[in-house]
Amino acid sequence: MSDEHLSCGEHRHDLSCREICDFMMAYLDGELPAGELAVFQEHMSLCPPCVQYLDTYKKTIALSKQCLDKEAAADPCSNAPKPPPVPDALVKAILAARKKSP
Amino acid sequence: MIDDGSLTERKPAADLSEADLLALLRAGDDEAFEELIRRHGPQMLAVIRRYLPEESDAQDALQEALLSVFKAIERFQGDSSLATWLHRIAVNAALMRLRTRRRRPEKPIEDLLPHFSDDGHRTEPRADWSVRPDDAAQNAELRGIVRTAIDELPESYRTILLLRDIEERSTEEVADLLELSLANVKTRLHRARQALRELLDRRLGESGRPGEMMR
Ligand SMILES: [Zn+2]
Repeated sequence: MSDEHLSCGEHRHDLSCREICDFMMAYLDGELPAGELAVFQEHMSLCPPCVQYLDTYKKTIALSKQCLDKEAAADPCSNAPKPPPVPDALVKAILAARKKSP
Repeated sequence: MIDDGSLTERKPAADLSEADLLALLRAGDDEAFEELIRRHGPQMLAVIRRYLPEESDAQDALQEALLSVFKAIERFQGDSSLATWLHRIAVNAALMRLRTRRRRPEKPIEDLLPHFSDDGHRTEPRADWSVRPDDAAQNAELRGIVRTAIDELPESYRTILLLRDIEERSTEEVADLLELSLANVKTRLHRARQALRELLDRRLGESGRPGEMMR
């Protein structure tokens, strides 16, 4: 079957890049069934654009984790500003609401 | 009840240790509540704003979050840190607010999904993705780009991405919280990541080489 492969832009697709794309999340979660995993890996071995897409997809996840500290507490960058204070009017409104609430 | 006499002298609220603050909170001390808002409110508000970019929504959610803190503080066991407990309450209040407020029209996500040619071929990414995620710690511009891109996601996708990829909640938990099927959570997370990837592809392209953003 490999003889029939043309390169991307030209290579033979058992599944198109579009369909392969839908496998990426399951692939990263280790949830692709064996048959689909084989098809996925075969496609990846022949399609540099899909390899690059998977790489940037993974980077996207990593970047969002790195750039949004979970608790917004310590910004990872030491000289970055802390979150701005709660506006005074809001502090007063919350304290007043607490007195009213049962 | 703790009265002022039980402390050798009453410290300014800002100097209280976390344990002393907690003791005063449990005793219903007014100043301690104000100190809690000033000390932990900024982080809570920053987290809420990720889910509710509109300021009035975010402020309402913070108020709801803190009112539930005031009611539940006696039950706070201290098995997680106070900050972690408050963080969870803030996220829950943001989700509650998203559920109860009037739905706003949402940008369609389709524009942000990858484009394929008619025969299903991929089109190449534009940007220079040589940036390493670890660079984020040193690179404020990169962090700004990523945060802005997340804010630009359509709301229902952003919420799922925040819960799964930032909060690291399980698919099952997110499905419960948002009353969606597991399959729906997975599909939406995948689309959200693809859309964020596309937004970053555009932004990183505009900024030139991300490596040069480092100063
Ligand atoms: Zn492909």
